[in-house]
Amino acid sequence: MRSLPRGHIKAGLDSMRRAKWRNFWTMLGVIIGVSSVITIVSIGEGVKQQISGQIHHVGSDLITVRPAQLSTGESAGATNISLLSGVTIAGSLSSADALAVHNLSEVAASTPLSAVPGKVQADNGVYSAGLVIGASGDLPSLLKQDVEFGEFFSNGDDNEYYAVLGAHAAQKMFQEAVPLGRSFTFHGQQFMVRGIMKSFDTTPLSQDANFNNAIFIPNGVAQQVTKNTATIYEILAKPKDARHADATVAAINHKLESLHGGAGAFTVLRQDQSQTNSDAVLNLLTSLVAGVAAISLLVGGIGIMNVMSVSVVERLHEIGIRKAIGATNRQILGQFMVEATALSLTGGIIGIAIAAGVDAALRFFTDLRPVLSWQIILLATGVSVIVGVIFGSFPALKAARKDPIEALRAE
Amino acid sequence: MAVIELKDVSKLYGFGDATTLALDEVNLSIEQGEFVAIMGPSGCGKSTLMNVIGLLDRPSHGNYTLGGKKVGRLRPNQAAKIRRDTIGFIFQSFNLLPRLTVLENVALPLTYKGMSQTKRLKQASQMLERVGIQNREYFMPSQLSGGQLQCAAIARALVNNPKLIIADEPTGNLDSAASRLVMELLSEIHKMGNTILFVTHNPELTRYATRVVYMHDGSIVHDEKTPLGQVAGKARRALYSLPKTSEEDDMAGVSALMKALPDKPAKRKPRKKTTSKRKAVKK
Repeated sequence: MRSLPRGHIKAGLDSMRRAKWRNFWTMLGVIIGVSSVITIVSIGEGVKQQISGQIHHVGSDLITVRPAQLSTGESAGATNISLLSGVTIAGSLSSADALAVHNLSEVAASTPLSAVPGKVQADNGVYSAGLVIGASGDLPSLLKQDVEFGEFFSNGDDNEYYAVLGAHAAQKMFQEAVPLGRSFTFHGQQFMVRGIMKSFDTTPLSQDANFNNAIFIPNGVAQQVTKNTATIYEILAKPKDARHADATVAAINHKLESLHGGAGAFTVLRQDQSQTNSDAVLNLLTSLVAGVAAISLLVGGIGIMNVMSVSVVERLHEIGIRKAIGATNRQILGQFMVEATALSLTGGIIGIAIAAGVDAALRFFTDLRPVLSWQIILLATGVSVIVGVIFGSFPALKAARKDPIEALRAE
Repeated sequence: MAVIELKDVSKLYGFGDATTLALDEVNLSIEQGEFVAIMGPSGCGKSTLMNVIGLLDRPSHGNYTLGGKKVGRLRPNQAAKIRRDTIGFIFQSFNLLPRLTVLENVALPLTYKGMSQTKRLKQASQMLERVGIQNREYFMPSQLSGGQLQCAAIARALVNNPKLIIADEPTGNLDSAASRLVMELLSEIHKMGNTILFVTHNPELTRYATRVVYMHDGSIVHDEKTPLGQVAGKARRALYSLPKTSEEDDMAGVSALMKALPDKPAKRKPRKKTTSKRKAVKK
């Protein structure tokens, strides 16, 4: 009996070979379903890995202070918004807070990040592609990001009209890669370009995405030109001893709470904690879109069922012959089940191949770095087999139960 | 002991007023090694009888014993296994699967037996050699002539070494040369000890048979043993009286063959509604 399944597989594959195009249209539903689910999940996975890669780059001991209370877990609505929009609207951090954090004994380095509103007048018109960000001289060391040309302003330059440009901003404002020593006008003041940042590894959905387009100016100057209206949306800090990161977080919390009179209108997070939050958002988004894509798998399954039903009617005569020469109901059932499963499995494999192609294209043409994990490939293969078995079983049962005489008479 | 033993076998189709009696209490006993021709006009129940004997159909009433085993009330799967192991079918329209090669077609019954691929292809090839078309084994059925197709179908019917071979008008779609070829092949198989049942409209072909059974309206009306090589007596009469079939007879659905036959046995019950009309016209 051992070669029995092989006979069915052959019978199933034989009839697939016959109608290549029809089979392709049948598989299309499954192909689209599988490829979209895999593409979406791999993009989600890729973004997650990029973020954690960046965190690895800057170090997990980086501490972030953000305004607004953050409740941990799934219901972190406020964080989600700030994460997606990049800049928090409700700002309750002040320069005094930033200074307090900076002066804590546990903190080795820190910088406020403030969004500075206003028009940037460069050589060739207004520059509007990026933000002007107020920061301190510690920024490059905190983000472990080197300055490619020139140098970053130091903490002592807080009142100097210096600026450091993101790599893209330099190109866009001055049409040259190294516009060192050139200047632009901001709030009526001339700012001199002191340095150009190395290009940041951009991460979709992360706040750092716009750093390549940003103009960094000293925070003191930022507050001065805006008359203290520049919103500090984040304070970055690094503990003196990475092993005491938690103690440092507690110290910052304590200090800021006392400054704000006990009202906790801010959140202090270690970098790895903020990752958990962005992961939660990403997972939610990914599963949502993947769920929608999974519906097309269902539609694909129904397509297979329809074609198999038609095929059973078309091949009644064949069923009759097979039964007459001794095929049992189970053997006929097996043949049609194998056929349906082979159809959906082939569709799944084509879908996986397409998804791999799309992923490669995304890697090549965009900043996304989709990750095609073997788990998702295995899952997609399994799901397409299950789709074939479930939706193939109805027509196959119909075929198996045909009366041999009736089937033989059909033409 | 008889291979086939039918006792009061009836087959009804439909129900209520639309009931048709396809087999009417048929009693038939066929011994091992017989070569039986079954003749009769269209619609007389020959095919139904073949289907019942071949276990494709179940009798509505009566008992059927095949090789000492009661098979009248088998479930479809049990019937399929007996078909696979003990019965070979040959059809009028050959019924080879068009997408398989001739060799694969012949090997198909062995597939359902669960034989390994090499073994079954080897066996199928031997069987094709026996029917004389081994040089065509990798052809597709569409590339063969009718006679070759029927030879392949015979090889398929034989590949399982069945006790019983059932051929429903095996020469119906063939010209006379191919018919002779096929019948010679069948009689060769018969000489090796197989029991063969075949349906035919051609009285000439009864010369291959050892026994001829005539059917009419679902009953066996005549049953004669005939020496090999001779056209059966009743059939011969039909053969030479064929031109006598008049237009009137055609209208009444009576073939020359039936006119040549003796009257029905007296013990038959009165006809049903559908058939009585026909009789009235005949008078």
